[in-house]
Amino acid sequence: MIRFENVSVTYDGATEPTVQGVDFEVPEGELVLLAGPSGVGKSTVLGAVSGLVPHFTGGTLRGRVTVAGRDTRTHKPRELADVVGTVGQDPLSHFVTDTVEDELAYGMESLGLAPDVMRRRVEETLDLLGLAGLRDRSIATLSGGQQQRVAIGSVLTPHPRVLVLDEPTSALDPAAAEEVLAVLQRLVHDLGTTVLMAEHRLERVIQYADRIALLPSPGAAPLLGTPAEIMAVSPVYPPVVDLGRLAGWSPLPLTVRDARRRAADLRQQLEGRDDNALKGRGAVVDLRLPPRDRDQSKTPTHRRWFPRRRTPATPTTSHTAEVQALAVTRDRVRALRGIDLTVTPGETIAVMGRNGAGKSTLLNTLVGLVAPTTGSVTVGGAEPHRTPPRDLVRRVGLVPQEPRDLLYADTVAAECAAADADAGAAPGACRALVSELLPGIADDAHPRDLSEGQRLTLALAVVLTARPPLLLLDEPTRGLDYAAKARLVALLRDLAAQGHAIVLATHDVELAAELAHRVILLAEGEVIADGPTAEVVVSSPSFAPQVTKILAPQRWLTVAEVREALA
Amino acid sequence: MGNCGLHPGAWWLWSLALGTAATRTTNPLLLALLIATSAYVVAACRPDTPWARSYTAFVRLALAVLLVRLAFAAALGSPLPGTHVIVTLPELPLPHWAQGIRLGGKVTVETLLHAAYDGLRLATLLICVGAANSLANPARLLKSLPGALYEMGVAVVVALTYAPNLIADVQRLRAARRLRGRPDRGIRGLLHVGLPVLEGALERSVALAAAMDARGYGRTADVPPRVRRTTTALTLGGLLGVCAGTYGLLTAEGGTYGLPVLLAGLTAALAGLRLGGRRTPRTRYRPDRWDARAWLVAGSGAAVAALLALAAARDPAALHPGVVPLVAPTLPLWPAAAVLLGLLPAFVSPAPRSPAPKEPS
Amino acid sequence: MTGDSTPQARAVRLGPRSLTALVLVSAVGVAALGRPFLSPPTAQASAHAQDAPWFFTCLLLLLVAVVGATISESGLGPKAVAMLGVLAATGAALRPLGAGTAGIEPMFFLMVLSGRVLGPGFGFVLGAVTMFASALLTGGVGPWMPFQMLSMGWFTMGAGLLPGPDRLRGRGELLLLAGYGFLAAFAYGLVMNLQGWPYFTPGSSPLAPDPHAGPLANLARFAAYHLATSLGWDLGRAIVTVVLAVTLGPAILKALRRATRRAAFESPVTFDAPTG
Repeated sequence: MIRFENVSVTYDGATEPTVQGVDFEVPEGELVLLAGPSGVGKSTVLGAVSGLVPHFTGGTLRGRVTVAGRDTRTHKPRELADVVGTVGQDPLSHFVTDTVEDELAYGMESLGLAPDVMRRRVEETLDLLGLAGLRDRSIATLSGGQQQRVAIGSVLTPHPRVLVLDEPTSALDPAAAEEVLAVLQRLVHDLGTTVLMAEHRLERVIQYADRIALLPSPGAAPLLGTPAEIMAVSPVYPPVVDLGRLAGWSPLPLTVRDARRRAADLRQQLEGRDDNALKGRGAVVDLRLPPRDRDQSKTPTHRRWFPRRRTPATPTTSHTAEVQALAVTRDRVRALRGIDLTVTPGETIAVMGRNGAGKSTLLNTLVGLVAPTTGSVTVGGAEPHRTPPRDLVRRVGLVPQEPRDLLYADTVAAECAAADADAGAAPGACRALVSELLPGIADDAHPRDLSEGQRLTLALAVVLTARPPLLLLDEPTRGLDYAAKARLVALLRDLAAQGHAIVLATHDVELAAELAHRVILLAEGEVIADGPTAEVVVSSPSFAPQVTKILAPQRWLTVAEVREALA
Repeated sequence: MGNCGLHPGAWWLWSLALGTAATRTTNPLLLALLIATSAYVVAACRPDTPWARSYTAFVRLALAVLLVRLAFAAALGSPLPGTHVIVTLPELPLPHWAQGIRLGGKVTVETLLHAAYDGLRLATLLICVGAANSLANPARLLKSLPGALYEMGVAVVVALTYAPNLIADVQRLRAARRLRGRPDRGIRGLLHVGLPVLEGALERSVALAAAMDARGYGRTADVPPRVRRTTTALTLGGLLGVCAGTYGLLTAEGGTYGLPVLLAGLTAALAGLRLGGRRTPRTRYRPDRWDARAWLVAGSGAAVAALLALAAARDPAALHPGVVPLVAPTLPLWPAAAVLLGLLPAFVSPAPRSPAPKEPS
Repeated sequence: MTGDSTPQARAVRLGPRSLTALVLVSAVGVAALGRPFLSPPTAQASAHAQDAPWFFTCLLLLLVAVVGATISESGLGPKAVAMLGVLAATGAALRPLGAGTAGIEPMFFLMVLSGRVLGPGFGFVLGAVTMFASALLTGGVGPWMPFQMLSMGWFTMGAGLLPGPDRLRGRGELLLLAGYGFLAAFAYGLVMNLQGWPYFTPGSSPLAPDPHAGPLANLARFAAYHLATSLGWDLGRAIVTVVLAVTLGPAILKALRRATRRAAFESPVTFDAPTG
């Protein structure tokens, strides 16, 4: 169905090809996953299928790509629109109209289908994707998962035979990702649609893939094989594969279910060594424990990110932040109610819950973007929403969901200089932080041209320049690959070890398992669970990490813990 | 906002017809009746949407126009031979090149009344246009654009879809300034946020363009060269005709040929526009149908315009009450009854039965 | 600031057909605006002086549509349309900011800069589309709209036609744009007044156009009308345009040029045969 014949792509102005030696075929009705670290050219390969590379982006394509028998040299993207449906990472920049029904019809209108056909297909697609209740809604008011489903629906209506998706679930919470993946599976199984999909979050998608095409490093030719074969050699892998490799299972398990069947021996080996089980019982005592250090072995070349730099002491209280009986009402909706929370220095807290459960509102309240309706919030002895911004940055810093929102300047150097001035820090302080956190970011680079991971690091450095004792992060792992995530984990652990208190709002259960001492679950603006990570996540089916699910009833959270225990 | 609404074109025709009717008269009673008619229909039929509020804005604008006219009349006087002096303002001498314009002097009742009649007519017209603005859904109006304007239509649709996002972006980024330790209020904050918002918007436009390209935007049908040449000839020839016709209208000699040539040129140009639509193979999903109700709404407006034009020709005195000598305007019965025909849409339109809570001021 | 060597993008190219159509329609527009001065009392347009403004408004609306269709036909690619939409949304969102506050119309400055970076063809379409979109967004469709579309199109196009589009950068360019913006802001106000003036019924005021007076007398009347109604307003707009162009101009120009580079309007697309 899709055929790459020795394809390489060189963009205008680049000396080296972005991808080369791409030579594989995707048969009809298969779901093929395109995997690899950031920056290896996954989007380029996807773009070549829809013809956007090189017709839209410019550049030189060597070799030949054919889709359903049509050669992309002679067919522009618009002439492939009836056989290839393309959905990008950000559904909002995919939409042309503003209501669901119009959006579903837009593609068919461009192709000139007859009105009665359009009407029928819109109704079919509304049913297929479970969107019937939303047909008249304005797209801007939908949730992320709904928007992504509308985006998929909008390319499905012309009945394409191939669907190309670039990270369709990266920005979604687990439940919304399930919705989207269930739809894709239905398309492959019932309609025989061929799907080519790139995705960072392999743990979500690997069980749906028939085959994997792996781009191991920039410029390297892709490997194609069954998921188990590819995972044995891949530089990117989900925790279940990591555990499988550690235990030496072959063929590698790809799902929690496969792994559980093999794990009897491993469980026996680990019997009695799961100290989390012990820790879990002493919940209250645990909260004030110093950070765990047994995970530190994960980063063997560990170094101090902030040598000899101590967080300024907060003399008034031992708590970094204190929240009492907090309620927030916005637009007549109760976003939060009855929240009590204390944050102590050195503690890392993960706030989890569905979209719209109030996670971001809680962080925004802590940083003064939202004023409490009732109750009180104090951070470093001050009320955030009444504190002038200049003082507040020295008490608390927030890295928002979209790190771009914090960056205004047109070069990294200018951004850092501005951050120094804002925070009243010595000139060069921010730039030094950036170099420490992630070497290799050029001074004259434009912040918007950086990769997701680099941009997050820059935003983090900007916030840390004022050295706030309390650091808040909203969905920090959105769009990060495993390597960038591992760097972030090491970095945050080090900050916690120096006494920074960290609060993360996240959907990423693996991140919470690796990092958090304590997990708070929110639902409909209320706290429904609050306790040590092991205790809270183990008992929750939707928030348990893969390792926990595999090794239950023992209480292991991460592969690193298991590795340590076996050593 | 369902699809069952009335064709937006019907509302425009109705409103413009009422506006045309307003240009036929300066009788303040008839004009007030026209305003009341449009206000009643708007109150009964307008949907609960942001653009529905524009009626009030147009009423304010109309009021401003009226007041400006009155102020001009008071300050500058008028050529009318008025006798009823209200007040005499000190007169300012103006240089010779001012060509007889004077500043200050006598303010007469006749002057003010004449200005008020004239201003009220323009105000009524504006209010009628405001009615169309608040009743017709702009997004659906765009859907009715001819095929030749498809690309422009898409650009406008993108703009309409994107503008609310843009305002949300500004608010979010302005709040985020607080996270950098900068004040999040004031005009400086707004200016500094402008650049990142613009950059974000431009980046979004590139992503959107890719999505549109991959979804089949810009597919063209095969148009035979003959048709293409005809389109060009009709369009350019028509425009030339319009130019010649306009020249004729503006000169003393062209009195006879001006209008016919202009109209013929316009017809040719519009035929070219229609023929040009052949190049897009695009179809329309659930277009608004021009149904019986649309005929009734547009027809009621047209009837008002036609009857008032007739009345203006038959009985100019009743529709243009004199100011010199001063007489009180009276309400001519038949024209007034004709204006009331314009209320028909309030009874046949399928728009929400429960009128919007806010009454137009 | 180092000079940015990105040449002016020609996001929308005007072919000979579009150019001819544009010139013809502009001529009709100028005639419609200049009618009170141009037509002798015996001409038809003067005989129906009361209805003439309405007639020309409707005529221009149709003619602007014809020009739009002609330009569309000669090629509005997806990149140009998406950028048009987004910039028009930005312009339209900037417009209500200034409503009611003495001529603070930041939109004007954005239009001038966009025209400069994206070229005259794109500029004309952008100006027209922005006025149309903002009229739809704010529910402000009125008899002024065709003239607004046409004149905003002219001025944005004019910015694209300024000298040195590919070479002149830095302070010189900024001064050029500020100067142009200043004049254009005045000219735009003048055009809008020319459009509104004929609604004054002849004989109702000494400021109203009088078909029986000579062109010179009418010019004086119009000058007085212009002075009395909107000169202060136009001055405010012109000053705001200059101030914004000088302060924010460099950053915005940079952002626009960066975006046009990324959009790769004219980057070459090539295919090579597969090698070994």
